[in-house]
Amino acid sequence: MFYMNRNIINNLLVLTVFALAAITNPEAQAYAAGADSIENRNRIAEGTLFNTHRENTATAVSSVSGGRLYQTVSADLPNTLTGQVPGLGVRMGNGQPGYNSTEWLIRGIGSYTYGRANESKIFIDGFESSAEYLAYMLPCEIESISVLKDAGALTPFGMTGSNGVIWVTTKRGRIGAPQVNIKVRTSLQQPININKPLDAYDYATLYNQAYSNDNGMVWTPYYSDDVLAGYRNGTQPNIDWYDQILRKNANYSDVAASVSGGGHTARYNIVMGYSNHQGLLDVQNSDHASNLNMGRFNLRANLDMELFDIFEVKVDIGGRLEERKAPNYNIWNLFEDVAKLPANTYWVFDDTEGQNYSGTAVYPNNPRGSIRGLGWYSSRTRITQANFSIREKLDFITPGLYLEESFSFYSRSRSTYSKTKNYTRYNDGKTTTTDQDSPLTASWYNADGMLDWKQAKATLGYERVLGRHRLNGAAAFHISDRKNDGQYEYKIHYMNIFGRLNYNYDSRYTAELGFSSFGTDAYTGSNKWGFYPSLSAAWVISNENFLKAGGPVDFLKLRASVGMTGGNEAGSDFNVNGYYTSGRYLYQQYFYWNNTLLTGTSAPYVGNGSVAPRFIANPGLKPEKSLKYNLGLDVTLWKNLDITADFFLDKRRDIITIDNTIMGYYGNIYYVGNIGKMTNKGLELGLSYNGKAGEFTYSLYGMFSTSVNKIDYMAEPGTPHPYNAATGHPFGARFGLVSEGFYQVEDFDDKGNLVSGIPVPTFGSVQPGDLKYADLDGDGYIDDTDIMKVGNPYYSKMYYSFGLSGGWRGFDLNVMFRGAAGSTVNLLDYYSQFVTFMNNQNAYKIAQGAWAYYPNKGIDNRANAAYPRLTTVNNNNNYRNSSFWVRKNNFLRIQNIELGYEFAGNVVNSKNISSLRLFGNVTNPVTWSRLLKDYNMDPETFYGYPSLRSFTVGISIGF
Amino acid sequence: MRSKIKYLIIGGWICTVFSCDFLDTKVDTDLTQEILDQNRNIFTGLANAYYVPMQTGFYDLDGNFFAAASDEAQRTQESGATYYYNDGTISPDNVTDATSTYRQYYEGIRAANYFIDVANERGYEMLAMNRDTINEAYWYERDVKNLGWQIAEAHVARAYYYSELIKRFGGVPIVEDYISRDKSPGYQEQKGYDQVVEYIVSEIDKALELGLQESWRNDPDNYSTMDGRFEVKSALAVKSRALLYAASPRNNPNNDIGKWERAAKAAHDVIEHMSYSMPADRDYRSYFLGNNPTESDESIFLIRRNAENGPESSNYPVATPGGNSGVTPTHNLVSSYEYIGTPDPADPYAKRDPRLEATVVVNGSYWNGRIIDESPGGTDDMSRANASKTGYYLKKFLQDDLNLTQGASEVHVWVVFRYAEILLNYAEAMNRAYGPDAVPAGFSMSARAALTEVRNSASTNLPAVTVTDPGLFEQAVKHERRVELAFEDHRYWDLLRWNDASTVLNKPIEGVLVGKGSSGYTYTVRNVATRTFHDRNYYLPFPRAEVGNSNGTLKQNQGY
Repeated sequence: MFYMNRNIINNLLVLTVFALAAITNPEAQAYAAGADSIENRNRIAEGTLFNTHRENTATAVSSVSGGRLYQTVSADLPNTLTGQVPGLGVRMGNGQPGYNSTEWLIRGIGSYTYGRANESKIFIDGFESSAEYLAYMLPCEIESISVLKDAGALTPFGMTGSNGVIWVTTKRGRIGAPQVNIKVRTSLQQPININKPLDAYDYATLYNQAYSNDNGMVWTPYYSDDVLAGYRNGTQPNIDWYDQILRKNANYSDVAASVSGGGHTARYNIVMGYSNHQGLLDVQNSDHASNLNMGRFNLRANLDMELFDIFEVKVDIGGRLEERKAPNYNIWNLFEDVAKLPANTYWVFDDTEGQNYSGTAVYPNNPRGSIRGLGWYSSRTRITQANFSIREKLDFITPGLYLEESFSFYSRSRSTYSKTKNYTRYNDGKTTTTDQDSPLTASWYNADGMLDWKQAKATLGYERVLGRHRLNGAAAFHISDRKNDGQYEYKIHYMNIFGRLNYNYDSRYTAELGFSSFGTDAYTGSNKWGFYPSLSAAWVISNENFLKAGGPVDFLKLRASVGMTGGNEAGSDFNVNGYYTSGRYLYQQYFYWNNTLLTGTSAPYVGNGSVAPRFIANPGLKPEKSLKYNLGLDVTLWKNLDITADFFLDKRRDIITIDNTIMGYYGNIYYVGNIGKMTNKGLELGLSYNGKAGEFTYSLYGMFSTSVNKIDYMAEPGTPHPYNAATGHPFGARFGLVSEGFYQVEDFDDKGNLVSGIPVPTFGSVQPGDLKYADLDGDGYIDDTDIMKVGNPYYSKMYYSFGLSGGWRGFDLNVMFRGAAGSTVNLLDYYSQFVTFMNNQNAYKIAQGAWAYYPNKGIDNRANAAYPRLTTVNNNNNYRNSSFWVRKNNFLRIQNIELGYEFAGNVVNSKNISSLRLFGNVTNPVTWSRLLKDYNMDPETFYGYPSLRSFTVGISIGF
Repeated sequence: MRSKIKYLIIGGWICTVFSCDFLDTKVDTDLTQEILDQNRNIFTGLANAYYVPMQTGFYDLDGNFFAAASDEAQRTQESGATYYYNDGTISPDNVTDATSTYRQYYEGIRAANYFIDVANERGYEMLAMNRDTINEAYWYERDVKNLGWQIAEAHVARAYYYSELIKRFGGVPIVEDYISRDKSPGYQEQKGYDQVVEYIVSEIDKALELGLQESWRNDPDNYSTMDGRFEVKSALAVKSRALLYAASPRNNPNNDIGKWERAAKAAHDVIEHMSYSMPADRDYRSYFLGNNPTESDESIFLIRRNAENGPESSNYPVATPGGNSGVTPTHNLVSSYEYIGTPDPADPYAKRDPRLEATVVVNGSYWNGRIIDESPGGTDDMSRANASKTGYYLKKFLQDDLNLTQGASEVHVWVVFRYAEILLNYAEAMNRAYGPDAVPAGFSMSARAALTEVRNSASTNLPAVTVTDPGLFEQAVKHERRVELAFEDHRYWDLLRWNDASTVLNKPIEGVLVGKGSSGYTYTVRNVATRTFHDRNYYLPFPRAEVGNSNGTLKQNQGY
């Protein structure tokens, strides 16, 4: 606790110093409220090779500025993207320091595999980069993040474009006097929610019921009344293990300083940053133990130079050092342990002195021991991205012609260091496991993985305005060589010859052509290369005479695009007979050494290895294809209301799939082919209104994205009934039996057998209080022929956000709401919180609604049961996928509230300080969610390390 | 045309700046076809591939003996796939053990098909490749001999897998082709049960014609390290069992005597080949332990396993540290062991067929370093959680007193075929074909003589069966199979092929409740579980997806 406070005090001191210094400067400029807000979107559409303006953009691109991302306080950059961009569905990750678990999808799911098959590519300053780089960039080094969505924008990315592209542009220097800006903020972070299990008394009471249920529903308590009373009066253990491992709140602080400026020949923008993110674990940092922690140093220097009027040179270096520290125990396992450990299992310590950690064979890992008794583990990661480019303006050949060569390298290395020890587990004074106390041992400083990634690009471009004709075109050759960890990703090569040609006539009509000829090393022969064309068009109706006359319409544009892109990461996550393919080399016939035949007349026997094919090679394998259509509309009404709407359709084919229709009598055969077909479509809407009332300026904004996909064909094994099939439904739709409530006492005869006429379940014998399912096919048995779609997929169908920002005199306020809808949760996926007792599980509040009938004990929960009867043994009937366990997951959060004050010139009175703003921010203060209300489950982080709510104060100073 | 020029220009530039094979990265961490085609040692790995899908019976059902599906044993744990068999609720979705068997056995068939094809095509050529066949003549000729045997063995393997498949599923498709990069054969016709039997017979005959190793163990030219592959006697045994099953009532509804004659002849072939005798020194208890089966002349075909303690940790009493009381013998089984002389009223387990003591741990006997006491308050108190429901524990196949908490382990060998089974096959078939005592021309012993040989082996020493009525004699053979082959994965399938399952497997499972009286233990027989067997359960269902994928060419078994 002291450690945390000291940290906060330090930060507050820094803030105070800055504030005092700042208040004396009268020449500060007014802070422009809402300068970064949504209304600026789509004024400029970023994209590969060149950007377009509102009048000649024909593609679907949405973007957000780095300044706006700064308003959501999070250590991980992707978390700040939530709710910001139409078409980018972001699922906020948990708040574990140094572990970014945010997931995002551009326009939903297009290909029916989880993982890399739907991953969008990330490009930073024109070169491909990675999610690990994006994860810890500073908002201050980012000019904007654009999301490229339609064929017009994506076709140039060829085989890597099908899932969209996140296009990041870093800040560059502008001509002018040096500007220095320092931003400091510090936060208190606390868990949004913790789902705690029942206390010892409630646990034991339910256990007695479960135990009796297993004994033919004869009341036979396992825990005596004395023991139960002991849980209440403190003579028996009743431990809140979350209290044992978590502190109430933790600190996050960051500082970013930027310097920019320059003249005509050279400009610079340099950003430095430091952040420290502390974990929620209740442990003192020492040589023996450590809280979770991530410290981060960022540096980015972007330089522009213009030489001899011909050359434009850019040198960008982005580097980062990440220092992570954690207890020497897997954090996911730690939270799993706490979730599973019943409160009455044991005292924290087995002795009264507090020396010996308790532990048993079933629960060997004492959570407090896990964070305090095992030592710690640390890692250091260094990441560098360095880009160099030189552009030759060839105006002497023909005006507007240029040539550009650029080169990029990206390098990452990680090393680890740990000091570890172990502790003996005791129960009743005896050691219970083979673990022994051991002294703290330091490890070597070890290397742990590397990445070297070189890219080069050569571009020939032409940009010219001739009367009413405006032409902008460029073609480029891009080559990438990535050397990664892992067996099959040692070398990954691709080349891309691509281009865009944008032609605009009279600011009214735009046509754009895009193409890519993309070559990859993952396939063979002609399948290495794919050609991807696109055509886009736009019509600015408001520039036609019949609309120019005035009226409410200030701007009206229609956009349309169609084109082909590809996906070469499909199949990446398949494991065929132990071959983790990464989707690569599946054209090659591989064999492997399988199990051995043992022979001989005496042990040990002679092992004779056997050779079998890994899979059946498919030389015809090629990347999946995505045919994308987009229709868009950009409108400005009454000068202040901006509307952007997009409708899209994405038809995938040749989806790489393991063929499940091969007959089993051909043996243990895998064949991966271009099999599947899928359709994905959706709608995006962005709205903003800027208004002014006296001195009060305000902006209202909102966005909405939805996408719905459907599996058209996936070579699904034949199903007995059409409703059993996943084909025809969205990918990841939940399938299960249809629950019809509970078996009642009347459903059974004297011997405990089901009354005839009731369909017989085939998952084990049942008794009153077990789940009853619908016999959909009416064959008298409940089995897997009775499953059907019982819920929407894991990923939300809809994402939306809305908010308000306003300014009055020096004050500014921003409030942003964010929500998602249309997904479901299968509670059984979060086993440790929803399965009670069996396999040594714990009990949660939901179990108190269990079906129970012990009239002599005054227990009768038959009528309002919300959970099947409890049992201490395995039950395959109740704990299987069915509609009973599926819950809708819709939610709305207040993402952030920020209140700031910009000191006016007369307050800030110093020659050196040009601006000063103080602000307070609350991130994720309120969440409305059924899951949260009913099960104490955050709608985005269902288990493990919690997601965070932050209370922040900060200051921004310009010099 | 324009685009062609563009490609030419850009392509040419690429090739100058970067080497043209930039997109030819390849990381061959696995064996490629080329390596396979050039290296005869890897090639022999293909000849082992058709053996590895064979299953030992130690882990067949819920990771334990299949016996708990039948009336031999009761599973102690409350849940598991075993109950699908016990409750008659087997369905195409839940018999995962059967569905994995289906795919696994067909994988064995695929491996055999592939091997036969490539061995015939280029096997011999490969043996001579990169090799001095003159100076290395000894090894070269040995390899040539081996390859000949391996091809014959592949035919036996196919016969074995098909016999196991039809035992479970009835008629199945016969597949001799395989899928490769270059070909994808379509659907295969589902054959009738008898057609597959004929195929099995023809595969064995083909193997014998091609030439199998006579005996790995006894070959003077030092082949004993290869013992465990098929040889002549195991090929004959596959045929004997397949034809016995084919003659049995489930598969021979019209009781065609010719089928019994053929089964008798096939069993006789094995007996003749094995020189007519059970080993004189056989000890029923120790035969099944450790490495012993590999050293016994009784063994015909075995599957070896490295040292482990799975069977012990699964089946030791729960009171033994590390034990789990997995499957426990039923009183139904125990009561079928004969009394020798007058029963002892105080100890129902005294004076019994000695195989009882070798198979079952009964209360009051010595096991795991203690006298088992299942009475209330005893070390193995039956009211303990996960204690045996039947009052018995398994002994056969299990080493006594392995220290499980310290990870002690022992070699286990699964006996697939042994001479005693063949004698019982012979006794059953001869009796049905010719009666208990007839010895027609071409045969050398009567059904009774074969039965007696089993009952009379060294450690058993039971009196000969005297009944003369063929029906009663058949009951005696069935009884003998139950006792002699207990826990060897015969009982369930025997009940099916005899059409006895609908009576036997609908009877409740009995156990004993052990108590303590004034003059020692008391035993109360009680029902511990009910069993259900439907007529459809005479065959297992095909995996759901297999039928669904078959485009109507594979018919699901009746009732599923």
